[in-house]
Formats: sequence, C-alpha cells, structure tokens
Amino acid sequence: MNLNDCHNFEDFRELAKRKLPSPIFHYIDGGSDDEITLNRNTDAFKDYDLIPNVLNDVSKIDMSTTVLGEKIDFPLFPSATAMHRLYHHHGERASARAVEKMGTIFGTSTMGTVSIEEIGQINKGPKSFQLYIHKDRGLTDNLIERCKKAGFTSLCLTVDTVVAGNRERDRRTGFTTPPKLTLGSFLSFALHPVWTINHLTHEKFKLANIIHITEKGSSIDKSVIDYINEQFDPAMNWDDAEYCVKKWNGPFALKGVMSVEDAKKAIDIGCTAVIVSNHGGRQLDGSRAPFDQLAEIVDVVGDKIEVILDGGVRRGTHVLKALSLGAKACSFGKGYLFALAAGGQKGVEKILENMKAEINRDMKLMGCKNIGELNSSKIVSRK
Amino acid sequence: MSLKDCHNFSDFRKLAKKKLPSPIFHYIDGAADDEITYKRNTTAFDAVDLVPNVLKGVENIDLSTNIFGKKIDLPLYCAPTALQRLFHYDGERAVGKAAQKFNTFFGVSALSTVSVEEISSLIDTPKMFQFYFHKDRGLNDAVMERAKAAKFDVMALTVDTITGGNRERDLRTGFTSPPKLTLSSLFSFAMKPMWGINYLTKGKFELPHLQDYVSEGTSTAVSIGNYFSNMLDQSMNWKDAEKLCSQWGGHFALKGVMSVEDAKRAVDIGCSGIMVSNHGGRQLDGSRSPFDQLAEIVDAVGDKIDVICEGGIQRGTHVLKALSIGAKACSGGRLYLYALAAAGQEGVERALNLYRAEIERGMKLMGCTKISDLNRDNLRFRSK
Repeated sequence: MNLNDCHNFEDFRELAKRKLPSPIFHYIDGGSDDEITLNRNTDAFKDYDLIPNVLNDVSKIDMSTTVLGEKIDFPLFPSATAMHRLYHHHGERASARAVEKMGTIFGTSTMGTVSIEEIGQINKGPKSFQLYIHKDRGLTDNLIERCKKAGFTSLCLTVDTVVAGNRERDRRTGFTTPPKLTLGSFLSFALHPVWTINHLTHEKFKLANIIHITEKGSSIDKSVIDYINEQFDPAMNWDDAEYCVKKWNGPFALKGVMSVEDAKKAIDIGCTAVIVSNHGGRQLDGSRAPFDQLAEIVDVVGDKIEVILDGGVRRGTHVLKALSLGAKACSFGKGYLFALAAGGQKGVEKILENMKAEINRDMKLMGCKNIGELNSSKIVSRK
Repeated sequence: MSLKDCHNFSDFRKLAKKKLPSPIFHYIDGAADDEITYKRNTTAFDAVDLVPNVLKGVENIDLSTNIFGKKIDLPLYCAPTALQRLFHYDGERAVGKAAQKFNTFFGVSALSTVSVEEISSLIDTPKMFQFYFHKDRGLNDAVMERAKAAKFDVMALTVDTITGGNRERDLRTGFTSPPKLTLSSLFSFAMKPMWGINYLTKGKFELPHLQDYVSEGTSTAVSIGNYFSNMLDQSMNWKDAEKLCSQWGGHFALKGVMSVEDAKRAVDIGCSGIMVSNHGGRQLDGSRSPFDQLAEIVDAVGDKIDVICEGGIQRGTHVLKALSIGAKACSGGRLYLYALAAAGQEGVERALNLYRAEIERGMKLMGCTKISDLNRDNLRFRSK
C-alpha cells in the first residue's frame, strides 16, 4: 500500500497505521473514555440528508470563501495540531508547505515542533496560530508578539483543554513526548524501523515554540496529559480570553465553544469566529458532536460571528452539510495527520486535493455554483 | 493483567473474570432473561449529549452533595449488594473501608456476609442498610433493631425483588449461596485455586443478619432467585412499607421505584428518598432503564425527596448526566464489585479513585465548579 492507494480518510488512516509505531498512531487515532463522542462526531452527519437541485449549469464552480479575514480557495482547512514531527520527520515544514500550495489556512500549535518564525518563512499564505494559555502569562505575551512578527494572519485560543481528557489508549501504549522506549513499546518501534531511523537521524525533537520557557515535553519524558495538567491554566476565564483578543488585535477565534451562551460571550469580547469543536472527541466523552450542535449556535449568532465546524469531517459531503446549516467553513485534524504520517508533504497535499475534489464534485451534484447557494433548503434532518 | 492495568469498568471486569470461579463471576455479571435491560442501563447514557461551557475558571471543584441528611464528598456511592465475601474474602469489610476513605455512602445488604455491628465498628462514615421484607416478621423486626442499634443512617427497603428474576446464567452455572460443588462447576472452581483456598481458610461464610432465622443461603444452598421467591413476603404492600418507615423513624428510602405514581406514594408514606433502579437489570428484563426514566420522576418529586439514579453507571460522565437531569446522587453495584473481586479493598479504592477523577475532570471540562452548576440546559437529547 502506498500514497497512490489512498482515496479516502480510511486509506490514509490505514497507511499511517502501517508507518507509525503504535503508541504514536493511537495518540492520533484515539479519543477519550469510551470514544462515544469521537465516533458520534462523524456519525452525526449521517442523520442529515442533502437535497440536490438539477439543471443549474454547474460548469464553473467557485468554492472560495472568506474566513478569519482571509480568502481561501475552498471551505476546509487543517486545524492546528501538536507535534507534527512525531508523525513525519519533516513535521510542520511538510504540512505548512502543502497547505500553502492548496490555498487554505495553515494552523500551527503552541505545541508545534517547528518554530513560529520558521513557519512564517516557509508559508506565505494565511496562517493561524493556536494558543494555549499557560500558567506562565509571560509565555502567552511572548507567543502573541512572535506571531505578529512572523506574519500570522489570525490567532486561535483553545478553551476546551483546562484539564486533559482521559485518553485510555495512551495509558495502555505508554505514549509520551518525546517518544520513550519501554519494554512494552519496544516491539512497535522496532517494527517501524523507517520511522524510528528518521526520527533519530533528523534534528532533535523539540517543542519549538515554548522550549525557551519550559523544558517539559522537550527534554524529559512526559505524557501530553501531564503537560496539559501541569502547564495549562485551569483558572482561565473570559477576562483572560478578552486580554488575548485585545493584545492580538486581529482576526481571532475561540476554539472549543459548544454552547450558545458561550458563542454570545465570544461576540461580546470581540472574537471574529467560534470554532464549534469537542477537540476531536479527545476531551469530554459524552460531549455533543459539533455537527449536532451546529444549527443551534448558527441560529443565534451566525449573523454576528463566523461559525467554523471542527470535528468528524472526513468527506466533501460533510463539509457541504455543515455549510448548508450555516457554518462558514470546516476544519479537520485526524485526516491530514494520517496523511502527513503516510507521505509527508505529498500526503497532506493529496488529502487536501481529494477533499477539494470531493467538495467540487458534490457542489456540482447539488446544483450549487458557489458556497452562498448552500443553505438550509438543501438539507433535511432524518429524525 | 494486574490492578495497575485497570483504567476503567471493563478492565476491572476482565480482572474479576480471571480471579473468580465462573459461577460467581456470572452471578455478578449476569442479569435477567436476555439482559436487554442490563445493557440499556448503560447505553441509555449515550442517547444524551453534554454541552460544556468554557472559560469558567475551574481550578477548584467541589464534588460534595447532601443526601439523606448527610454530606458526602462524592455524588456516587456503593449500592448495597449481597454476598460480598464470595467475591473477595474481606467482603463488606473491604468495601466499607474503601467507601470510608472517600467519605461516601456504604450500602450494606440484608444478605451481607459481615454483620452490621462489625461494619459499624469499622467505619464511621455514612451507612445505609438494605432491607428485604421476609415472611418471618420476627426476622424483620430483629434485623431492623440491629441496624438501628448499629447506628445506620438510612434504611432502604428493596421493592423490586418480590419474586426472583430469571437469571439464566445462574441456571446454567448452578450458582447457589453458599457455593455448591457440582460436577459441572468443579472445573471452574478447580481452575481458580486461590479463590477456593481463601474461601475455605479466611473465616466461615455466613449471612449474619439472617442465619438465626433461616438456614437457606448459609447452611442450605439456594439460588438467589429461589431465595427471593421463597423467603420474601409477596403480599408486601404500601401499608407494610409505611409501617416499616415509621418503625425505623429515620431516613427511609424505597429502592427499585420506577413509576411516577410510586414515587409520589413514596413521598406520601414519609420516605426521604428513592432509588430509581431496576436492580441492575437482574429482575424484570424489558424494564425501562433508570436514566431513561429519571426526568419523569425528578419532574414529579425531585423537589420533595432525594432521587438517586442507580444502574448502568460505568463512567464519570454518566454521573454528570444523571445529576444534570436532577438526580441528587448515583449509585451502583458492579462498578465496585468487579474491583472488589479483582483486588479487595485496594481494588475498590482504585475504582472509586478513578470515578472521582473522572467526575472531577468531567466537571472541569463542563465548566462546572460545584454539583449544583449541573442542569438540563447543558444536555441535549439526541433522538426523540
């Protein structure tokens, strides 16, 4: 199996599974507790059906949209995710280049393994920096300043990780960052020698954005869970979020908003967007799926703030369904991470090309010429 | 596999399965008929989603709640269950001491294998006695007096075992109390020699609350289904319950209430609480799950008595969902029994510790700092 055989999410997942040592694969693939929410995030789309219109001259399709102050070529972007160099030795360099080429927003994480400055050099397109508020407030200020200088176009504050989710697969596999060899995981590293050699022969693994402040996760073996629980500030509140909005003074998204009440508050503090998300089912299991919750949020705040749907997106039709209910755009994590693991920059390009082609084909089949034509008349709930 | 590999309900279950002779494992694990209700008790929680709030400042979380006039540190407690020394030789001693460490209710069954007097000398945290209404009224009076003298805080009358449920796994394995060696069960006892050695050497198996009155269950081996069917009084009615309630004269609860009508009558006869329960799916298969039925009952009596959601709880988020609907607390049996079988007191402590951590983590992710922050605004029912 190689990249040419990857036609959909499942194929990329399968190839990533073959290439990655199992603790790393399961870190991407897993959710929290019983993974009820993880599975529901995708299943939720099945409860809605699309209603096409025909004979609408669909020879030219415009998929572009404007989100977070930037025009993008199609209404899907990779969400900011941590530690790309665990998945492929080129890490964020590979994903940043692929995303620039595909003309959508690149997100990089506070816990990225390539620095803000280097990303700014590599990717000249729209870029979003995903911020975690640490207990050390100096670190927050420092990150915001650096993003401004490096030409990032938007800031995204994650608010659903005040405490780490119960990711039981990581407990069983003993996943840590950087990866630690244990008796239990030795076999899985040994069975993936290419990954292991690449990981060890390229530059040292580091959390490039925060290495100057904290050594956690860089030089000592820590699970992500320990890092979140020790470093992130559970006291974080709306004043802190508003402080970040003002300090950034540009397009700003709150990621992990699920209630209408919180979406309204996001407007009050001056956010440009809310990202409706449950962190890919990795935090509170039993939490509602973003797609299930989307209409409720769009109906109340959709005309005042951009609503972005994040989670469970694996098909072009998923994007069409979310846009029909009023989302401005969608984002996804697991899909492009599997693609990164499967084939580096080429892999990420391929999955974005696939998704873009699916959206294009599905728009034509729906009889829609542009994103604006997707609306609630195109979708019906089965229940 | 050892205790440190147990991260959730199904891990404890797996370890218990390894440690117990199969008739005993299946006595815990099994339920009535086709076990439809048993499964629904847990899957019911999946039909409801949580909607969190963010940026609430959640560094300090208070998990305490008040039920039956007692403050407990955790909105989850150990429901009374029978025959615990069959599962681990320390039996109720282990569970009671573990519950004490977490300052939550410990429920002791009429069919317990350690006496109320001993439990009372072991722990000083809130205790509940679970009562079966026997045909022998002398037994009933004596049991109630002993629980009162032993300073139990709550008397819970079980009302859903008027006859034994059809526990088909027990029919197949030949489970009885006390355990009886048969040709077919010999192999499963022989395969778990540690259990057999502990059972035979760590003190005689007894039912201290009943054995002065009845031989069944201690010196005569019977199935639990037969015990319920033959020893309990099937004529039990609301008058009897009312009499027991006033005879007890303290916090009194009915365990196994499922209809709104019955919940209202429980209020009328002076109960301070009810356990919405179908006996862990072990009695009437096809019965509604407690969580499915909870809102209906809370709406009718939630402001008058403590409503406890019992059954199917395997996760901290299940507790959060029940409390959001209006339950005052949750309780469960299997959630600590597998852990008891897996490793005695240490096992139960590990299980309670995991549930506490899950509830606390879930509260933080929900943006709630105290139990009263949970309400129905934060729930969405997925399918109507």
